[in-house]
Amino acid sequence: MKWLKRLFRSKKTAKPEKKMAMTSDQAEKMLRMIEHTQAEELSCDEVFDLLDVYAEMAARGEDVGELYPLVEHHLEMCPDCREEYEAVMRILEQRTE
Amino acid sequence: MSERSNEDWLTSLRSSGKAKQGALADLREIILNSLPYALSKYLHPTNPHFDPLIQEVAQETLLRVMDRLETFEGRSKFTTWVHTISVRIALTELRRARWKEVSLDELQNGMDSDDKMREMPDQDMDVEASAEQSEIMAMIQKTMMEILTEKQRKALMAVAVRGMPIAEVADRMGSNRNALYKLLHDARLKLKNHFDEQGMTPENILSSFEK
Repeated sequence: MKWLKRLFRSKKTAKPEKKMAMTSDQAEKMLRMIEHTQAEELSCDEVFDLLDVYAEMAARGEDVGELYPLVEHHLEMCPDCREEYEAVMRILEQRTE
Repeated sequence: MSERSNEDWLTSLRSSGKAKQGALADLREIILNSLPYALSKYLHPTNPHFDPLIQEVAQETLLRVMDRLETFEGRSKFTTWVHTISVRIALTELRRARWKEVSLDELQNGMDSDDKMREMPDQDMDVEASAEQSEIMAMIQKTMMEILTEKQRKALMAVAVRGMPIAEVADRMGSNRNALYKLLHDARLKLKNHFDEQGMTPENILSSFEK
């Protein structure tokens, strides 16, 4: 644990220390998002403009991660876009959840 | 209703009179038949809100399709492109209804220095591991307080921790979805770079949660 304490050694700061309520699952989820963050990421609009093509390719079983890695990455990082993609896929695959 | 080609759709919708009205009616039917699949995760067709919602979404979708018709690039089926629009409209509306009573300030509850971290003890974890995890979480939160701006912290907590839709957070911050995503991206990158500078990766820290 010493390495962790060195990592987070507190600096002198004038800000009052406040705690945010977070469960361990939430902290873990946040750390995974941070871990997978890339320097360049597409915006929601850029992904939306490609969603029709991406969804059809996925429905055909093509390797969308290989063909559109930045779109795939955005969908991993953006819950809103992820939900919309999954909803479009349900339409294309004519299935319910 | 026989299946139209992309060209058929575009030609009819760009025309006037019966051809255009026929295409709009067919498109409307396709949207109404497809939305139950899209919304099955959120709303059952027997729900009294279901039918008014899909009627409203279908109408709004047709307006938006006509408005953006010349942006359709033909790389997919026309109907797939329309589905992306109807889904965006439908889910935006559902999110708005679901979160309308929730303010950003509510999601920040527990930020007072006197509040203890809400944490359910993991029954399968031994005392030492649990204490270590609690210490890690406290340090993560301390880092967020020191590294991020207040706006970044608020947005990250709301989206990544509380699960509030990005569009809803953006609306409350007087921003838009793209700008909010960029704000979140900048925040994540700051944290990642900070860990890197300290010679640590989130993966190493995460390994403590896997004990």
